[in-house]
Amino acid sequence: MAGLADVRGSAGPSAAESDAAGTALVEFVAAEKVFGNGFRALDPVDLALAPAEITVLVGPSGCGKTTLLRMAAGLSVPTGGRLVRRTERMSYVFQDPTLLTWRSIQANVELVARLQGVPRAQRRERARRAIEMVGLTGFEKAYPRELSGGMRMRVSLARSVTSEPELLLMDEPFAALDEFNRDKMGAELLNLWRLRGLTVMFITHSISEAVRLGHQIAVLGSRPGHLVRVFRSPSPPPLDGSAARDDAALRALRTQISELLGGSRI
Amino acid sequence: MTDTRQVTVPRPVAGARQVSGARLLWTVLPPVGALLIGLLGWQLVVVVFGIPGYLLPSPATMVHTVLGELGTIGTPTWVTMREAYVGFLLAGVGGVLVGLVMSRWRLLERGLYPYLIVLQTIPIVAIAPLFVVWLGPGAVTNTVVAAMIALFPVAANTLAGLKSTDRNLVQLYTMAGASPLVRLLSLRLPGALPAILTGLRVAAGAAVIGAIVGEFVAGVGGGQGGLGYVITESAVRLRTPELFLAVLAACFVSLLLFGAVVLVERRLLGRWHESALPVEE
Repeated sequence: MAGLADVRGSAGPSAAESDAAGTALVEFVAAEKVFGNGFRALDPVDLALAPAEITVLVGPSGCGKTTLLRMAAGLSVPTGGRLVRRTERMSYVFQDPTLLTWRSIQANVELVARLQGVPRAQRRERARRAIEMVGLTGFEKAYPRELSGGMRMRVSLARSVTSEPELLLMDEPFAALDEFNRDKMGAELLNLWRLRGLTVMFITHSISEAVRLGHQIAVLGSRPGHLVRVFRSPSPPPLDGSAARDDAALRALRTQISELLGGSRI
Repeated sequence: MTDTRQVTVPRPVAGARQVSGARLLWTVLPPVGALLIGLLGWQLVVVVFGIPGYLLPSPATMVHTVLGELGTIGTPTWVTMREAYVGFLLAGVGGVLVGLVMSRWRLLERGLYPYLIVLQTIPIVAIAPLFVVWLGPGAVTNTVVAAMIALFPVAANTLAGLKSTDRNLVQLYTMAGASPLVRLLSLRLPGALPAILTGLRVAAGAAVIGAIVGEFVAGVGGGQGGLGYVITESAVRLRTPELFLAVLAACFVSLLLFGAVVLVERRLLGRWHESALPVEE
């Protein structure tokens, strides 16, 4: 299979292959992380990310969410178990906009595509569409410092899709925004997912955000980081943006998750 | 002048700003007024107390001298200018290179940085004679002294700028498969530019000081003395007006270089960096 990445840790393959094997876009198989100084960041985790689904990782800080995300990105190698990723086309979205302050919005949105060698005309067109999608048309020539925090985050989101990824890895991307912008960006993400059929791995410490965005919600605990439980959403984000969702069921799930996390209703 | 250029840049979000004539006057008039009042006071003090010209020449004498000596101060000014500016350029290029090398190889940073600091802490007046011994008196020595004193601010700021590259951006570049060279040219150097320019600003003043101190010590080399030589000679001979004139010329040499750096800074940083923007009201 093209672009198959199989990152093995020292412990070798685990017997615990999940049923999603072969179909999942990203798969953690008993993946664990112990740092050189003996610090155990993550107990073995089994988790599969189905294509065109949003998987949300939620948990307190220090639960290994970011470690899992970095493993998926290939930035960190599991010290035991393994990680299978069946695509090379992925984008990473950080908590901060992480823009080049000395380049225009247009150049920033094109950046990753440019680094990957996408021809100019093509990445212009992609950037135009992405900028339109996040509602920043007219700001192409502006510089990051001239935009508000929420707008900068939109630029970051537009940049992440201009390389046309299959897999979007998001590390608490909206955590620095106020609640209003945060909800708007969440809706933006769902919109993106509908249009592009992206597979998304999304980290948050907000339970309500997790429940609103996730098809699958993985709850993690800390010290050391471990997977507590994986939920399937009773009413996942629908492909039809106007379709109603079962609010009662989502509320119940939220309560269940917050009880699981020790009553800390974040 | 630079202010108007800044304003012609279109700024879609903040909106265009107009600089009115009144605003310009508000910028220019107070310092000019203060200068005139100061000069008037000076003149009064000299005349009222009958202070002899060799101690404190009156502004009127100064103007007279300046007009009379303009021809003679030209050559020393040019000599000092050349030494300081060439020294500045050497320090600029050398400092950025040293910063680059130290940021690339951690071992070199460890090994070299303490000596850079030592270099910086040596009083320049104390080390200049050594260069005279090595290189002989003259423009070459003065240029080297200027470069030496101006090198550290550039190197230290370049290093600090390069080391403060956003780690997430580095990760983004790595994931996109960018080579280290692309990373350097497209990410790390532009990111370090504000710091490098800060270093160059400090270096501009330092280079002129270095050249003049070199001239104090090295004196006339090859028959051409710079401002440092004029200053020592005028002081010894109690030709105070000429001394003042030389000091003014040194200020001019310094300000011209500083102004050039600021212009380059505005042009390079343009709209993207806070430090290059006029303060918003």
